[in-house]
Amino acid sequence: MIEALFAGLLAVLQWKAFTFMLAGIGLGFWVGLLPGLGGATTLALMLPFVYAMEPVEGFAFLLGMHAVVATTGDITSVLFGVPGEATTAATVLDGHAMAKKGEAGRALGAVLMSSLIGALVGAVALAAAIPVVRPLVLSFGSPELFMLAIVGLAFIASLSAQGGRGMLRGFLAGGFGLMIATVGQDPQAGIARYTFDSLYLWGGLDLVPVLIGIFAIPEIIDLAIRGTSIAGDVPRGRLNQGVLEGVKDTFRHFGLTLRCSLIGTFIGIMPGLGGAVAQWLAYGHATQSARNAEDRANFGRGDVRGVLGPGAANNSKEGGSLIPTVAFGVPGSSAMAILLGGFFVMGLVPGPDMLTKHLIVTFSMVWTIVIANIIAVGACFLFLNQLAGLTNVRGHVLIPVILVLVFIGSYTSNNHYGDVLVTLAFGGVGYLMVLSGWPRAPFVLGLVLGKIAENYLYISVARYDAEWLTRPIVLVLFAMAVAVILYPLVQGWRSRAKGETHA
Amino acid sequence: MRLSLAFVALLALALAAPRTGLAQTSPFEGKTITIVVGFKTGGGYDRTARVLARHLPKHIPGKPNVIVQNMPGANSITAANHVYNVAKPDGLTLGTFNRNLVLAQLTHVPGVKYDMRKFAWIGSAASETTILAIRADLPYKTFDELRKSGKTVVIGATGPGANTYDFPLLLKDLLGVDLKIVSGYSSSSDIMLAIERKEVDGRAGSYSSLQQFIGRGLVRPLVRARAIEPGIENLPVDEDLAPNPRARAIMALRSAPEVIGRPYVTTPGTREDIVRILREAFRNVIKDPQLLAEAEKAKMDFEFIGGDETLKIVNEVLLQPKDVVDDFGKYIKFGE
Amino acid sequence: MHSKASLILGVAIMVLSGAAVIIALDWPWKAKLFPLVIGIPVFCLAMTEVLWCVFGAADRGGAMDFQISAHLPRKVVLVRSLRAAGWMIGFFGAIVLLGFPVAVPLFVLLYLKLQAQEGWGLSVAMTAAVWVFFYGLFDFLLHLPFPAGWIQTGLGLA
Repeated sequence: MIEALFAGLLAVLQWKAFTFMLAGIGLGFWVGLLPGLGGATTLALMLPFVYAMEPVEGFAFLLGMHAVVATTGDITSVLFGVPGEATTAATVLDGHAMAKKGEAGRALGAVLMSSLIGALVGAVALAAAIPVVRPLVLSFGSPELFMLAIVGLAFIASLSAQGGRGMLRGFLAGGFGLMIATVGQDPQAGIARYTFDSLYLWGGLDLVPVLIGIFAIPEIIDLAIRGTSIAGDVPRGRLNQGVLEGVKDTFRHFGLTLRCSLIGTFIGIMPGLGGAVAQWLAYGHATQSARNAEDRANFGRGDVRGVLGPGAANNSKEGGSLIPTVAFGVPGSSAMAILLGGFFVMGLVPGPDMLTKHLIVTFSMVWTIVIANIIAVGACFLFLNQLAGLTNVRGHVLIPVILVLVFIGSYTSNNHYGDVLVTLAFGGVGYLMVLSGWPRAPFVLGLVLGKIAENYLYISVARYDAEWLTRPIVLVLFAMAVAVILYPLVQGWRSRAKGETHA
Repeated sequence: MRLSLAFVALLALALAAPRTGLAQTSPFEGKTITIVVGFKTGGGYDRTARVLARHLPKHIPGKPNVIVQNMPGANSITAANHVYNVAKPDGLTLGTFNRNLVLAQLTHVPGVKYDMRKFAWIGSAASETTILAIRADLPYKTFDELRKSGKTVVIGATGPGANTYDFPLLLKDLLGVDLKIVSGYSSSSDIMLAIERKEVDGRAGSYSSLQQFIGRGLVRPLVRARAIEPGIENLPVDEDLAPNPRARAIMALRSAPEVIGRPYVTTPGTREDIVRILREAFRNVIKDPQLLAEAEKAKMDFEFIGGDETLKIVNEVLLQPKDVVDDFGKYIKFGE
Repeated sequence: MHSKASLILGVAIMVLSGAAVIIALDWPWKAKLFPLVIGIPVFCLAMTEVLWCVFGAADRGGAMDFQISAHLPRKVVLVRSLRAAGWMIGFFGAIVLLGFPVAVPLFVLLYLKLQAQEGWGLSVAMTAAVWVFFYGLFDFLLHLPFPAGWIQTGLGLA
């Protein structure tokens, strides 16, 4: 296996494969940056060009492109508050808040460094997990995935503000997200739920337009209200130190960065959870790392830990999601599904063979992820100052450009005006939520996990009747869910108790 | 006088000549043909369209540009509606969509704004067939053994309206096979994972999507629908095992659209000669050696079925008697 | 500001969840289980929030989220918010009426001139840059389908 490891590296470093990887990185850089283009769509469009390449070259190109998208998507989220990709929405909360405080450089430094570490951890996990991957994935059946979704939903408690009122609003937001997730045709009885005879709503609401609406639009309105630049009236000249500060932050909170990378990798390995989940679970976990309730209240207002968590997770997820694709022929995300098409084009059959006969190709994919991320992050660091400088441009000059990107971004999910309407509608909802003091993160959790929870529950009951409740992993996950809900409550009681003894 | 006559004659000649010249240029000269795909990028219909788009220009007189646009929504009903109602009948907009849309029309799905019979049919670029496959390590090697075993076999499905759900449903309800259908998986590949986990025992689906797993030895095909594809000719056909004509009619109705595996149409009212050019182009491009080489690499099968044949099948489906359609509607719902 | 907005949102959620539950009652149980299990608690929670807003003490806490800039007088914030919303809705209207390719440069130009009050030089330059980028990438390279605007179709230009 060690020989395969090095053979894989050498394969990527050959000049032809390397050039293709650079091309892929160049392309992926812009795809991630622009809210309009999705990594998945572009992968599909690039597929035909891959026909003419050898397997290692083809993967170098496709993966180089895909690996970078999560990194640059974070940049748009931080600078403009517009999720560059569906997987980078969580970075908007604290990342953009930091930009508004004039700490754009620091936020970018943090997000880039954590992305790099996340990618490295993901790649290492991919390489290291190869012997145990099959039993690991096979032991997580539908009951376990349902419980995992419940754990995810339990994080709503962590993402809510302190106190009874905070929890109430957090769960209201989460419940609202769950309700929106039920729109569309249900896979049990085939009933078109809440579609009101509209063809557009038949498949349910697409995630990207909703995310763009609920996160970007309130920020744009706020920018228009303030009338200043994104960074406000903070004096210039702090950008350079800011970036270094952000990098240092990543290492200051290295434990958190590492843990969130592992969370991302794990979620990536589990097919069927979807790509958008990992960043929110990481964000939820990051909020738990707060030492007490006051510390936690800073999240959403520009806490660098809220940037490190999702930044690491959405990159490590990429490495993780390669595992089911390569080892089982089952794509771990929609982008992986397209990559799978690439496998066939190159005459490779995913499955156990990729871990034995074609181990070199598998390792070359691991190395591609590693090297592509290093190069991309390096390139980003070169331009960071210019990019961060955009936060000093007058807001009203940026707004039309941002809005154009926002509208095109949501339009291109389905080439349907309905998506733009959804963006506007949820923009209004997001604005109201911010005005009312309702947190938006739980809403996204509910939206993203709703369908998954429902489907896996039905499958579990249909298949195992009631005995799935007693499976060992299910019980462990249930305990975790309970712990996740109780943790902020316990924290709150403890700090109140301490406050009372000091009073 | 003679000079002016000569001049008029020359003028007449000059005016006449370009017109005959125009009649010889193709209606597609310098134009762009758009193939509207009813699904997102990356799926089977989309990949087929993109491969065709790359090789079609050579086979259409005038060598027009051919591009692909995605118009996903409502399981491709949106795209079909668009090509039917909005696109102009100039042969420049082609549509490809879910082969089961004719069944959606038959069962009066709300939102259907097209009539399959009135489309200007180009044909189908491939045919698909549905098979049922179960895990290879189960003791049933033939469909008969499965039926006679008396044990319940768990089949994973995505949801009503997909062949993963409909095919086993008919096998269960009409043929009495003891199947437990567990539905809700987000995609057919998730079902394959569930098969490996032994959470479910098998799934139904298009042969092309199951091929790699059959080749790998994970699953074994047991029974198929009527359309034939190389490799599964010897499997029993579900219709042949039907206990009565009504059951056979329902199964036949479900699988009728499968011959039109990748339908291609253009707007109703398009001129006959344009449709003919397009049909010829498709017929020839599917024989194109470069396309076939690409298809071989990508493991895609192409087979041209002409527009006349596809129109015949569509008519047969839509002329089914009401009681058959009602019965059919009890089992099969058009899905997402 | 918090309480009033929260009241509006709370009432809206109450209405939505109530309607959702009522609509779901007709469905077969497999389809209605989840909507009911979620809808009914959400309705109760929303009602609690509404009552709290009406009868409870003034709301001090904020969510773990950003706050709309509060350092300006409320009226100014409201007016500017409405204006921003107006621009967005107007942009969407322009897209529907004129199609993306026309609406995009038009919106950029109008916003820069009227709202941002930039000079002609910058406005035209930015409009041109945005338009070239938009056209080059989305139309020329990716062939994304942008439907013709209603006005063009009405006039028979499309």
